[in-house]
Amino acid sequence: MPFSNLPLLVYIYQIWEEEGIEAIETWNVGEQQELEGDEESKLSIALDINSTCAKVAFFIISKSMNSPTPQFVPSRLGIYEPIHQIGIWGENFKSNGNPNTSTSVIVEVDNKLENESETTSHEMLTASKNYEQEASKPIDKIQRRLAQNREAARKSRLRKKAYVQQLENSRLKLIQLEQELQRARQQGLYMGGVLEGSHIGFSGTVNSGIAAFEMEYGRWVDVQHRQICELRTALNAHISDIELRILVESGIGHYFELFRMKSTVAKADVFYVISGVWKTSAERFFSWIGGFRPSELLKLDPLTEQQILEVCNLKQSCQQAEDALSQGMEKLQETVSSTVAGGPVDEVSYIPQVATAMEKLEALVSFVNQADHLRQETLQQMSRILTTCQAARGLLALGEYFHRLRALSTLWATRPPEPSLP
Amino acid sequence: MQQAIPYKSLPLPCIDATSHRARSTTTLGHNGRGKDVLNIVSENAVIVLARKGCCMSHVVRRLLLTLGVNPAVHEIDEENEAGILNELGTICKGTENNKMVQLPAVFIGGRLFGGLDKVMATHISGDLISVLKDAGALWL
Repeated sequence: MPFSNLPLLVYIYQIWEEEGIEAIETWNVGEQQELEGDEESKLSIALDINSTCAKVAFFIISKSMNSPTPQFVPSRLGIYEPIHQIGIWGENFKSNGNPNTSTSVIVEVDNKLENESETTSHEMLTASKNYEQEASKPIDKIQRRLAQNREAARKSRLRKKAYVQQLENSRLKLIQLEQELQRARQQGLYMGGVLEGSHIGFSGTVNSGIAAFEMEYGRWVDVQHRQICELRTALNAHISDIELRILVESGIGHYFELFRMKSTVAKADVFYVISGVWKTSAERFFSWIGGFRPSELLKLDPLTEQQILEVCNLKQSCQQAEDALSQGMEKLQETVSSTVAGGPVDEVSYIPQVATAMEKLEALVSFVNQADHLRQETLQQMSRILTTCQAARGLLALGEYFHRLRALSTLWATRPPEPSLP
Repeated sequence: MQQAIPYKSLPLPCIDATSHRARSTTTLGHNGRGKDVLNIVSENAVIVLARKGCCMSHVVRRLLLTLGVNPAVHEIDEENEAGILNELGTICKGTENNKMVQLPAVFIGGRLFGGLDKVMATHISGDLISVLKDAGALWL
Protein backbone atom coordinates (compact mmCIF):
# COMPACT_ATOMS: atom_id res chain seq x y z
CA MET A 1 0.00 0.00 0.00
CA PRO A 2 1.50 3.28 -0.96
CA PHE A 3 1.01 5.08 2.27
CA SER A 4 3.10 7.90 0.99
CA ASN A 5 -0.15 9.30 -0.20
CA LEU A 6 -1.49 9.25 3.29
CA PRO A 7 -0.68 12.86 4.07
CA LEU A 8 -2.60 13.86 1.01
CA LEU A 9 -5.69 12.11 2.15
CA VAL A 10 -5.33 13.31 5.68
CA TYR A 11 -5.26 16.79 4.29
CA ILE A 12 -8.47 16.24 2.42
CA TYR A 13 -9.93 14.81 5.56
CA GLN A 14 -8.94 17.81 7.55
CA ILE A 15 -10.27 20.29 5.09
CA TRP A 16 -13.62 18.66 5.00
CA GLU A 17 -13.64 18.42 8.71
CA GLU A 18 -12.73 21.94 9.53
CA GLU A 19 -13.67 24.34 6.85
CA GLY A 20 -15.88 22.62 4.38
CA ILE A 21 -15.13 23.23 0.84
CA GLU A 22 -14.04 26.81 0.82
CA ALA A 23 -10.52 26.44 2.01
CA ILE A 24 -9.37 23.72 -0.29
CA GLU A 25 -6.22 24.55 -2.06
CA THR A 26 -5.37 23.25 -5.40
CA TRP A 27 -2.46 21.02 -5.94
CA ASN A 28 -1.32 19.03 -8.84
CA VAL A 29 -1.97 15.39 -8.37
CA GLY A 30 -0.86 13.06 -11.09
CA GLU A 31 -1.92 13.81 -14.56
CA GLN A 32 -5.23 15.31 -13.73
CA GLN A 33 -6.09 18.33 -15.77
CA GLU A 34 -6.46 21.65 -14.04
CA LEU A 35 -10.04 22.73 -13.95
CA GLU A 36 -11.33 26.15 -13.31
CA GLY A 37 -11.04 27.57 -9.90
CA ASP A 38 -14.30 26.58 -8.36
CA GLU A 39 -14.09 24.48 -5.29
CA GLU A 40 -16.08 21.61 -6.57
CA SER A 41 -13.73 21.09 -9.37
CA LYS A 42 -10.80 21.45 -7.07
CA LEU A 43 -12.25 18.88 -4.85
CA SER A 44 -12.77 16.69 -7.85
CA ILE A 45 -9.10 17.03 -8.51
CA ALA A 46 -8.39 16.17 -4.96
CA LEU A 47 -10.51 13.10 -5.26
CA ASP A 48 -9.44 12.34 -8.77
CA ILE A 49 -6.11 10.90 -7.75
CA ASN A 50 -4.83 7.53 -8.86
CA SER A 51 -6.79 4.43 -8.10
CA THR A 52 -4.31 3.06 -5.61
CA CYS A 53 -4.53 6.13 -3.54
CA ALA A 54 -8.26 6.00 -3.57
CA LYS A 55 -8.12 2.43 -2.42
CA VAL A 56 -5.91 3.56 0.38
CA ALA A 57 -8.50 6.11 1.31
CA PHE A 58 -11.12 3.44 1.60
CA PHE A 59 -8.74 1.28 3.49
CA ILE A 60 -8.18 4.02 6.02
CA ILE A 61 -11.82 4.81 6.21
CA SER A 62 -12.87 1.24 6.65
CA LYS A 63 -10.17 0.75 9.25
CA SER A 64 -11.30 3.76 11.18
CA MET A 65 -14.85 2.56 11.00
CA ASN A 66 -13.77 -0.82 12.30
CA SER A 67 -14.94 -2.41 9.17
CA PRO A 68 -14.97 -6.20 9.24
CA THR A 69 -13.37 -6.26 5.82
CA PRO A 70 -10.33 -4.04 5.87
CA GLN A 71 -9.21 -5.42 2.56
CA PHE A 72 -10.27 -3.71 -0.54
CA VAL A 73 -11.84 -6.65 -2.25
CA PRO A 74 -13.57 -5.90 -5.47
CA SER A 75 -17.02 -7.30 -5.16
CA ARG A 76 -20.42 -5.95 -5.44
CA LEU A 77 -20.61 -5.62 -1.74
CA GLY A 78 -17.08 -4.33 -1.56
CA ILE A 79 -17.70 -1.49 -3.89
CA TYR A 80 -20.68 -0.31 -2.02
CA GLU A 81 -19.32 -0.75 1.41
CA PRO A 82 -16.69 1.96 1.26
CA ILE A 83 -19.21 4.22 -0.29
CA HIS A 84 -21.37 3.55 2.66
CA GLN A 85 -18.43 4.54 4.78
CA ILE A 86 -18.07 7.78 2.93
CA GLY A 87 -21.67 8.45 3.63
CA ILE A 88 -21.07 7.83 7.29
CA TRP A 89 -17.96 9.93 7.12
CA GLY A 90 -20.01 12.72 5.79
CA GLU A 91 -22.56 12.14 8.52
CA ASN A 92 -19.92 12.25 11.22
CA PHE A 93 -18.87 15.70 10.30
CA LYS A 94 -22.28 17.04 10.68
CA SER A 95 -21.37 17.73 14.23
CA ASN A 96 -18.04 19.32 13.41
CA GLY A 97 -17.99 21.40 10.36
CA ASN A 98 -20.70 22.57 8.14
CA PRO A 99 -22.91 19.59 7.96
CA ASN A 100 -24.86 20.64 4.98
CA THR A 101 -21.76 21.63 3.13
CA SER A 102 -20.19 18.24 3.80
CA THR A 103 -23.00 16.22 2.47
CA SER A 104 -23.56 18.56 -0.34
CA VAL A 105 -19.89 18.19 -1.15
CA ILE A 106 -20.38 14.59 -1.89
CA VAL A 107 -23.43 15.17 -3.91
CA GLU A 108 -21.94 18.03 -5.82
CA VAL A 109 -18.77 16.09 -6.41
CA ASP A 110 -20.79 13.28 -7.72
CA ASN A 111 -22.59 15.53 -10.05
CA LYS A 112 -19.35 17.02 -11.22
CA LEU A 113 -17.73 13.71 -11.73
CA GLU A 114 -20.49 12.44 -13.87
CA ASN A 115 -18.92 14.32 -16.68
CA GLU A 116 -15.37 13.23 -15.98
CA SER A 117 -13.63 10.46 -17.82
CA GLU A 118 -14.23 7.15 -16.17
CA THR A 119 -11.36 5.74 -14.20
CA THR A 120 -11.35 3.18 -11.45
CA SER A 121 -11.07 5.92 -8.90
CA HIS A 122 -14.37 7.23 -10.05
CA GLU A 123 -16.25 4.03 -9.95
CA MET A 124 -16.88 4.15 -6.26
CA LEU A 125 -18.12 7.70 -6.45
CA THR A 126 -20.28 6.84 -9.38
CA ALA A 127 -21.48 3.90 -7.44
CA SER A 128 -22.00 6.27 -4.55
CA LYS A 129 -24.26 8.28 -6.73
CA ASN A 130 -26.20 5.12 -7.37
CA TYR A 131 -26.42 4.45 -3.73
CA GLU A 132 -27.33 7.97 -2.79
CA GLN A 133 -29.78 8.71 -5.49
CA GLU A 134 -30.88 5.17 -6.25
CA ALA A 135 -30.76 6.09 -9.85
CA SER A 136 -31.15 3.39 -12.46
CA LYS A 137 -27.66 3.29 -13.93
CA PRO A 138 -27.28 0.56 -16.49
CA ILE A 139 -26.06 -2.61 -14.73
CA ASP A 140 -23.44 -3.54 -17.28
CA LYS A 141 -21.53 -0.35 -16.59
CA ILE A 142 -21.18 -1.41 -13.00
CA GLN A 143 -20.22 -4.86 -14.12
CA ARG A 144 -17.59 -3.44 -16.40
CA ARG A 145 -16.08 -1.44 -13.62
CA LEU A 146 -16.15 -4.44 -11.33
CA ALA A 147 -14.33 -6.43 -13.94
CA GLN A 148 -11.76 -3.69 -14.36
CA ASN A 149 -11.25 -3.66 -10.66
CA ARG A 150 -10.78 -7.41 -10.53
CA GLU A 151 -8.34 -7.17 -13.37
CA ALA A 152 -6.31 -4.51 -11.66
CA ALA A 153 -6.25 -6.50 -8.43
CA ARG A 154 -5.14 -9.62 -10.21
CA LYS A 155 -2.38 -7.76 -12.00
CA SER A 156 -1.24 -6.30 -8.76
CA ARG A 157 -1.13 -9.75 -7.15
CA LEU A 158 0.92 -11.10 -10.05
CA ARG A 159 3.32 -8.21 -9.82
CA LYS A 160 3.74 -8.82 -6.13
CA LYS A 161 4.40 -12.50 -6.72
CA ALA A 162 7.02 -11.72 -9.36
CA TYR A 163 8.65 -9.24 -7.07
CA VAL A 164 8.87 -11.70 -4.21
CA GLN A 165 10.31 -14.33 -6.53
CA GLN A 166 12.92 -11.87 -7.70
CA LEU A 167 13.80 -11.05 -4.11
CA GLU A 168 14.29 -14.72 -3.27
CA ASN A 169 16.54 -15.26 -6.26
CA SER A 170 18.57 -12.21 -5.42
CA ARG A 171 18.96 -13.42 -1.87
CA LEU A 172 20.28 -16.79 -2.96
CA LYS A 173 22.59 -15.15 -5.41
CA LEU A 174 23.85 -12.84 -2.71
CA ILE A 175 24.71 -15.74 -0.45
CA GLN A 176 26.52 -17.48 -3.28
CA LEU A 177 28.46 -14.36 -4.12
CA GLU A 178 29.44 -13.89 -0.51
CA GLN A 179 30.73 -17.44 -0.38
CA GLU A 180 32.72 -16.93 -3.54
CA LEU A 181 34.08 -13.72 -2.24
CA GLN A 182 35.16 -15.37 0.97
CA ARG A 183 36.86 -18.15 -0.90
CA ALA A 184 38.55 -15.73 -3.27
CA ARG A 185 39.67 -13.63 -0.37
CA GLN A 186 41.16 -16.59 1.41
CA GLN A 187 42.80 -17.71 -1.73
CA GLY A 188 44.01 -14.21 -2.37
CA LEU A 189 45.56 -14.06 1.06
CA TYR A 190 47.03 -17.48 0.66
CA MET A 191 48.35 -16.75 -2.80
CA GLY A 192 49.81 -13.52 -1.52
CA GLY A 193 51.71 -15.53 1.06
CA VAL A 194 52.96 -17.96 -1.52
CA LEU A 195 54.06 -15.29 -3.93
CA GLU A 196 55.96 -13.49 -1.28
CA GLY A 197 57.72 -16.61 -0.09
CA SER A 198 58.69 -18.23 -3.34
CA HIS A 199 61.51 -16.90 -5.42
CA ILE A 200 60.73 -19.21 -8.25
CA GLY A 201 58.48 -18.19 -11.07
CA PHE A 202 55.92 -20.92 -10.67
CA SER A 203 53.28 -18.53 -9.51
CA GLY A 204 51.71 -18.24 -12.94
CA THR A 205 51.29 -21.97 -13.36
CA VAL A 206 50.21 -22.39 -9.79
CA ASN A 207 47.58 -19.70 -10.14
CA SER A 208 46.14 -21.15 -13.29
CA GLY A 209 46.17 -24.66 -11.84
CA ILE A 210 44.37 -23.48 -8.76
CA ALA A 211 41.91 -21.37 -10.72
CA ALA A 212 41.11 -24.31 -12.97
CA PHE A 213 40.58 -26.55 -9.96
CA GLU A 214 38.33 -24.01 -8.26
CA MET A 215 36.09 -23.86 -11.29
CA GLU A 216 36.02 -27.62 -11.69
CA TYR A 217 35.31 -28.14 -8.04
CA GLY A 218 32.41 -25.69 -8.17
CA ARG A 219 30.95 -27.75 -10.98
CA TRP A 220 31.68 -30.95 -9.11
CA VAL A 221 29.68 -29.74 -6.13
CA ASP A 222 26.74 -28.86 -8.37
CA VAL A 223 26.79 -32.26 -10.05
CA GLN A 224 27.12 -33.90 -6.65
CA HIS A 225 24.04 -32.12 -5.44
CA ARG A 226 22.12 -33.19 -8.50
CA GLN A 227 23.21 -36.80 -8.03
CA ILE A 228 22.10 -36.77 -4.43
CA CYS A 229 18.66 -35.53 -5.41
CA GLU A 230 18.46 -38.20 -8.10
CA LEU A 231 19.42 -40.87 -5.58
CA ARG A 232 16.83 -39.67 -3.16
CA THR A 233 13.99 -39.71 -5.65
CA ALA A 234 15.18 -43.06 -7.01
CA LEU A 235 15.19 -44.63 -3.55
CA ASN A 236 11.75 -43.25 -2.78
CA ALA A 237 10.42 -44.45 -6.10
CA HIS A 238 11.82 -47.98 -5.59
CA ILE A 239 13.35 -48.32 -9.01
CA SER A 240 14.89 -51.54 -10.23
CA ASP A 241 18.18 -52.80 -8.91
CA ILE A 242 19.93 -52.43 -12.24
CA GLU A 243 19.04 -48.78 -12.55
CA LEU A 244 20.04 -48.20 -8.95
CA ARG A 245 23.34 -49.90 -9.64
CA ILE A 246 23.99 -47.44 -12.43
CA LEU A 247 23.32 -44.54 -10.11
CA VAL A 248 25.59 -46.02 -7.44
CA GLU A 249 28.37 -46.56 -9.95
CA SER A 250 28.13 -43.02 -11.24
CA GLY A 251 28.09 -41.71 -7.68
CA ILE A 252 31.26 -43.57 -6.77
CA GLY A 253 32.85 -42.61 -10.06
CA HIS A 254 32.09 -39.01 -9.25
CA TYR A 255 34.20 -39.25 -6.12
CA PHE A 256 36.99 -40.80 -8.12
CA GLU A 257 36.75 -37.82 -10.43
CA LEU A 258 37.33 -35.56 -7.45
CA PHE A 259 40.41 -37.53 -6.45
CA ARG A 260 41.78 -37.16 -9.96
CA MET A 261 41.22 -33.43 -9.87
CA LYS A 262 42.92 -33.20 -6.51
CA SER A 263 45.88 -35.17 -7.74
CA THR A 264 46.37 -32.74 -10.62
CA VAL A 265 46.21 -29.64 -8.50
CA ALA A 266 48.40 -31.25 -5.83
CA LYS A 267 51.19 -31.38 -8.36
CA ALA A 268 50.74 -27.67 -8.92
CA ASP A 269 50.49 -26.70 -5.28
CA VAL A 270 50.22 -29.35 -2.61
CA PHE A 271 49.80 -26.87 0.23
CA TYR A 272 46.67 -25.60 -1.45
CA VAL A 273 45.14 -29.05 -1.24
CA ILE A 274 46.34 -29.78 2.26
CA SER A 275 45.20 -26.47 3.68
CA GLY A 276 41.74 -27.19 2.43
CA VAL A 277 40.89 -23.60 1.47
CA TRP A 278 38.92 -25.03 -1.40
CA LYS A 279 36.49 -26.57 1.05
CA THR A 280 33.95 -24.81 3.19
CA SER A 281 34.90 -23.97 6.75
CA ALA A 282 32.93 -26.75 8.43
CA GLU A 283 34.39 -29.35 6.09
CA ARG A 284 37.84 -28.00 6.77
CA PHE A 285 37.27 -28.60 10.46
CA PHE A 286 37.22 -32.34 9.77
CA SER A 287 39.98 -32.27 7.20
CA TRP A 288 42.56 -35.06 7.20
CA ILE A 289 45.40 -34.90 4.72
CA GLY A 290 43.48 -32.75 2.29
CA GLY A 291 40.04 -34.33 2.54
CA PHE A 292 37.60 -36.30 4.65
CA ARG A 293 38.70 -39.22 6.82
CA PRO A 294 38.10 -42.53 5.05
CA SER A 295 36.59 -43.87 8.27
CA GLU A 296 33.79 -41.33 7.90
CA LEU A 297 32.56 -43.41 5.02
CA LEU A 298 31.74 -46.24 7.36
CA LYS A 299 28.81 -44.74 9.24
CA LEU A 300 26.23 -46.99 7.72
CA ASP A 301 24.54 -49.76 9.68
CA PRO A 302 24.75 -52.99 7.72
CA LEU A 303 22.00 -55.52 7.84
CA THR A 304 23.22 -59.09 7.79
CA GLU A 305 25.65 -60.62 10.25
CA GLN A 306 28.12 -61.29 7.50
CA GLN A 307 28.01 -57.64 6.61
CA ILE A 308 28.54 -56.59 10.18
CA LEU A 309 31.66 -58.70 10.30
CA GLU A 310 32.95 -57.39 6.99
CA VAL A 311 32.27 -53.77 7.84
CA CYS A 312 33.95 -54.29 11.17
CA ASN A 313 37.02 -55.62 9.44
CA LEU A 314 36.93 -52.77 6.99
CA LYS A 315 36.67 -50.26 9.80
CA GLN A 316 39.69 -51.77 11.45
CA SER A 317 41.76 -51.89 8.29
CA CYS A 318 40.75 -48.37 7.41
CA GLN A 319 41.70 -47.12 10.83
CA GLN A 320 45.05 -48.89 10.67
CA ALA A 321 45.80 -47.40 7.29
CA GLU A 322 44.77 -43.95 8.45
CA ASP A 323 46.98 -44.24 11.50
CA ALA A 324 49.92 -45.36 9.41
CA LEU A 325 49.49 -42.40 7.10
CA SER A 326 49.07 -40.02 10.01
CA GLN A 327 52.27 -41.26 11.58
CA GLY A 328 54.04 -40.92 8.28
CA MET A 329 52.86 -37.33 8.11
CA GLU A 330 54.16 -36.71 11.61
CA LYS A 331 57.49 -38.14 10.63
CA LEU A 332 57.54 -35.88 7.61
CA GLN A 333 56.82 -32.88 9.78
CA GLU A 334 59.63 -33.84 12.12
CA THR A 335 62.01 -34.31 9.24
CA VAL A 336 61.18 -31.03 7.56
CA SER A 337 61.26 -29.20 10.84
CA SER A 338 64.66 -30.54 11.82
CA THR A 339 66.01 -29.86 8.35
CA VAL A 340 64.86 -26.28 8.36
CA ALA A 341 66.19 -25.76 11.87
CA GLY A 342 69.44 -27.53 11.13
CA GLY A 343 72.72 -25.93 10.39
CA PRO A 344 74.33 -23.10 12.25
CA VAL A 345 71.97 -20.32 13.15
CA ASP A 346 74.52 -17.57 13.11
CA GLU A 347 75.19 -17.99 9.44
CA VAL A 348 73.32 -15.76 7.10
CA SER A 349 72.80 -18.28 4.37
CA TYR A 350 70.08 -20.80 5.02
CA ILE A 351 69.58 -21.85 1.48
CA PRO A 352 70.98 -25.37 1.83
CA GLN A 353 68.62 -26.16 4.66
CA VAL A 354 65.63 -24.73 2.90
CA ALA A 355 66.55 -26.47 -0.32
CA THR A 356 66.82 -29.80 1.43
CA ALA A 357 63.55 -29.21 3.19
CA MET A 358 61.92 -28.50 -0.12
CA GLU A 359 63.00 -31.85 -1.42
CA LYS A 360 61.45 -33.52 1.54
CA LEU A 361 58.24 -31.61 1.07
CA GLU A 362 57.86 -33.30 -2.28
CA ALA A 363 56.77 -36.29 -0.27
CA LEU A 364 53.65 -34.34 0.69
CA VAL A 365 52.29 -34.84 -2.78
CA SER A 366 52.51 -38.57 -2.42
CA PHE A 367 50.84 -38.33 0.97
CA VAL A 368 47.88 -36.54 -0.56
CA ASN A 369 47.76 -39.12 -3.31
CA GLN A 370 47.93 -41.98 -0.85
CA ALA A 371 45.20 -40.45 1.31
CA ASP A 372 42.93 -40.10 -1.73
CA HIS A 373 43.84 -43.61 -2.77
CA LEU A 374 42.77 -44.85 0.63
CA ARG A 375 39.47 -43.00 0.31
CA GLN A 376 38.97 -44.55 -3.06
CA GLU A 377 39.71 -48.07 -1.91
CA THR A 378 37.47 -47.73 1.11
CA LEU A 379 34.63 -46.52 -1.09
CA GLN A 380 35.08 -49.45 -3.42
CA GLN A 381 35.26 -51.99 -0.65
CA MET A 382 32.09 -50.60 0.89
CA SER A 383 30.30 -50.92 -2.41
CA ARG A 384 31.47 -54.53 -2.59
CA ILE A 385 30.23 -55.40 0.87
CA LEU A 386 26.84 -53.72 0.60
CA THR A 387 23.89 -54.55 -1.58
CA THR A 388 22.97 -52.09 -4.28
CA CYS A 389 20.18 -50.61 -2.22
CA GLN A 390 22.36 -50.26 0.85
CA ALA A 391 25.13 -48.71 -1.21
CA ALA A 392 22.68 -46.22 -2.68
CA ARG A 393 21.47 -45.28 0.78
CA GLY A 394 25.07 -45.02 1.94
CA LEU A 395 25.99 -42.71 -0.92
CA LEU A 396 22.93 -40.63 -0.25
CA ALA A 397 23.83 -40.37 3.43
CA LEU A 398 27.41 -39.40 2.58
CA GLY A 399 26.44 -36.78 0.04
CA GLU A 400 23.77 -35.39 2.32
CA TYR A 401 26.30 -35.23 5.16
CA PHE A 402 28.70 -33.08 3.16
CA HIS A 403 25.84 -30.99 1.83
CA ARG A 404 24.77 -30.24 5.38
CA LEU A 405 28.34 -29.41 6.34
CA ARG A 406 28.42 -26.89 3.53
CA ALA A 407 25.10 -25.43 4.64
CA LEU A 408 26.49 -25.22 8.16
CA SER A 409 29.44 -23.26 6.84
CA THR A 410 27.17 -20.81 5.05
CA LEU A 411 24.99 -20.38 8.09
CA TRP A 412 27.99 -19.91 10.31
CA ALA A 413 29.42 -17.30 7.99
CA THR A 414 26.20 -15.30 8.00
CA ARG A 415 25.43 -15.50 11.69
CA PRO A 416 24.94 -12.14 13.42
CA PRO A 417 28.00 -10.76 15.16
CA GLU A 418 28.23 -11.71 18.77
CA PRO A 419 27.60 -8.89 21.20
CA SER A 420 30.72 -7.77 22.94
CA LEU A 421 30.89 -8.72 26.57
CA PRO A 422 30.41 -5.89 29.06
CA MET B 1 61.99 -42.07 17.13
CA GLN B 2 65.06 -43.18 15.27
CA GLN B 3 66.53 -46.41 16.47
CA ALA B 4 70.07 -47.49 16.26
CA ILE B 5 70.72 -48.95 12.86
CA PRO B 6 73.04 -51.94 12.96
CA TYR B 7 75.35 -51.85 10.02
CA LYS B 8 75.67 -55.17 8.32
CA SER B 9 78.00 -55.72 5.43
CA LEU B 10 76.47 -59.05 4.57
CA PRO B 11 72.82 -59.93 4.74
CA LEU B 12 71.94 -62.45 7.38
CA PRO B 13 70.67 -65.73 6.02
CA CYS B 14 67.08 -65.78 7.14
CA ILE B 15 66.00 -69.36 6.81
CA ASP B 16 64.44 -69.65 10.19
CA ALA B 17 61.02 -67.95 10.36
CA THR B 18 61.59 -66.82 13.92
CA SER B 19 64.42 -64.60 12.83
CA HIS B 20 61.90 -62.33 11.16
CA ARG B 21 61.00 -61.11 14.58
CA ALA B 22 64.36 -59.44 14.86
CA ARG B 23 64.27 -55.95 13.55
CA SER B 24 66.85 -55.53 10.87
CA THR B 25 67.69 -52.63 8.70
CA THR B 26 70.45 -53.02 6.20
CA THR B 27 72.14 -50.34 4.23
CA LEU B 28 73.88 -51.08 1.01
CA GLY B 29 77.13 -49.36 0.48
CA HIS B 30 78.22 -48.16 -2.89
CA ASN B 31 79.24 -51.67 -3.72
CA GLY B 32 75.66 -52.77 -3.68
CA ARG B 33 74.37 -54.53 -6.69
CA GLY B 34 71.02 -55.79 -7.73
CA LYS B 35 72.09 -59.33 -7.01
CA ASP B 36 72.76 -58.53 -3.42
CA VAL B 37 69.41 -56.94 -3.18
CA LEU B 38 67.80 -59.96 -4.67
CA ASN B 39 69.50 -62.10 -2.09
CA ILE B 40 68.14 -60.00 0.63
CA VAL B 41 64.73 -60.03 -0.86
CA SER B 42 64.52 -63.73 -1.24
CA GLU B 43 65.77 -64.34 2.23
CA ASN B 44 63.19 -62.26 3.96
CA ALA B 45 59.54 -63.04 4.10
CA VAL B 46 58.71 -59.38 4.10
CA ILE B 47 61.06 -56.63 3.18
CA VAL B 48 60.63 -53.04 2.28
CA LEU B 49 63.00 -51.35 -0.06
CA ALA B 50 63.07 -47.65 0.39
CA ARG B 51 65.06 -44.54 -0.07
CA LYS B 52 66.91 -43.19 2.88
CA GLY B 53 64.75 -41.10 5.12
CA CYS B 54 61.66 -41.74 3.07
CA CYS B 55 58.57 -41.04 5.09
CA MET B 56 56.45 -43.32 2.97
CA SER B 57 58.51 -46.28 4.07
CA HIS B 58 57.66 -45.24 7.58
CA VAL B 59 53.99 -45.51 6.67
CA VAL B 60 54.44 -48.97 5.23
CA ARG B 61 56.41 -50.08 8.18
CA ARG B 62 53.83 -48.84 10.66
CA LEU B 63 51.05 -50.47 8.75
CA LEU B 64 52.78 -53.81 8.69
CA LEU B 65 53.63 -53.47 12.35
CA THR B 66 50.00 -53.04 13.28
CA LEU B 67 49.35 -56.35 11.60
CA GLY B 68 51.99 -57.98 13.69
CA VAL B 69 54.67 -58.15 11.07
CA ASN B 70 58.15 -56.82 11.63
CA PRO B 71 59.30 -56.02 8.15
CA ALA B 72 62.94 -55.77 7.30
CA VAL B 73 63.69 -52.42 5.81
CA HIS B 74 66.39 -52.02 3.28
CA GLU B 75 67.54 -48.52 2.65
CA ILE B 76 69.00 -47.64 -0.67
CA ASP B 77 71.38 -44.83 -1.24
CA GLU B 78 70.52 -42.38 -3.90
CA GLU B 79 73.45 -43.13 -6.09
CA ASN B 80 72.65 -46.80 -6.21
CA GLU B 81 68.99 -46.25 -6.62
CA ALA B 82 68.83 -46.13 -10.38
CA GLY B 83 71.05 -49.15 -10.83
CA ILE B 84 69.23 -51.24 -8.32
CA LEU B 85 65.87 -50.33 -9.67
CA ASN B 86 66.99 -51.28 -13.12
CA GLU B 87 68.18 -54.64 -11.95
CA LEU B 88 65.02 -55.21 -10.04
CA GLY B 89 63.01 -54.18 -13.04
CA THR B 90 64.65 -56.77 -15.26
CA ILE B 91 64.43 -59.41 -12.60
CA CYS B 92 60.85 -58.77 -11.77
CA LYS B 93 59.71 -58.47 -15.32
CA GLY B 94 58.95 -62.09 -15.37
CA THR B 95 56.41 -61.84 -12.58
CA GLU B 96 53.50 -59.51 -13.29
CA ASN B 97 53.98 -55.97 -14.35
CA ASN B 98 56.52 -54.47 -16.63
CA LYS B 99 56.61 -51.04 -15.12
CA MET B 100 59.51 -49.71 -13.18
CA VAL B 101 59.74 -50.60 -9.55
CA GLN B 102 58.54 -47.72 -7.43
CA LEU B 103 60.01 -46.95 -4.09
CA PRO B 104 59.11 -47.81 -1.45
CA ALA B 105 58.76 -51.33 -2.76
CA VAL B 106 57.44 -54.19 -0.74
CA PHE B 107 58.60 -57.73 -1.32
CA ILE B 108 56.63 -60.52 0.16
CA GLY B 109 57.80 -64.08 0.00
CA GLY B 110 60.75 -63.14 -2.14
CA ARG B 111 58.60 -61.60 -4.84
CA LEU B 112 57.81 -58.04 -5.64
CA PHE B 113 54.44 -57.27 -4.19
CA GLY B 114 54.06 -53.64 -5.03
CA GLY B 115 54.21 -50.14 -3.67
CA LEU B 116 52.28 -48.44 -0.92
CA ASP B 117 49.24 -48.27 -3.20
CA LYS B 118 49.08 -52.00 -3.54
CA VAL B 119 49.63 -52.59 0.13
CA MET B 120 46.84 -50.20 1.06
CA ALA B 121 44.44 -51.64 -1.47
CA THR B 122 45.14 -55.19 -0.39
CA HIS B 123 44.83 -54.23 3.23
CA ILE B 124 41.46 -52.57 2.73
CA SER B 125 40.12 -55.49 0.77
CA GLY B 126 41.20 -57.72 3.60
CA ASP B 127 43.56 -59.88 1.62
CA LEU B 128 46.81 -58.61 3.00
CA ILE B 129 46.76 -60.77 6.08
CA SER B 130 46.26 -63.94 4.09
CA VAL B 131 49.05 -62.97 1.72
CA LEU B 132 51.36 -62.41 4.64
CA LYS B 133 50.36 -65.70 6.18
CA ASP B 134 51.07 -67.51 2.93
CA ALA B 135 54.50 -66.03 2.81
CA GLY B 136 55.13 -67.15 6.33
CA ALA B 137 55.42 -63.70 7.73
CA LEU B 138 52.43 -64.16 9.94
CA TRP B 139 50.89 -66.99 11.76
CA LEU B 140 48.05 -67.15 14.20
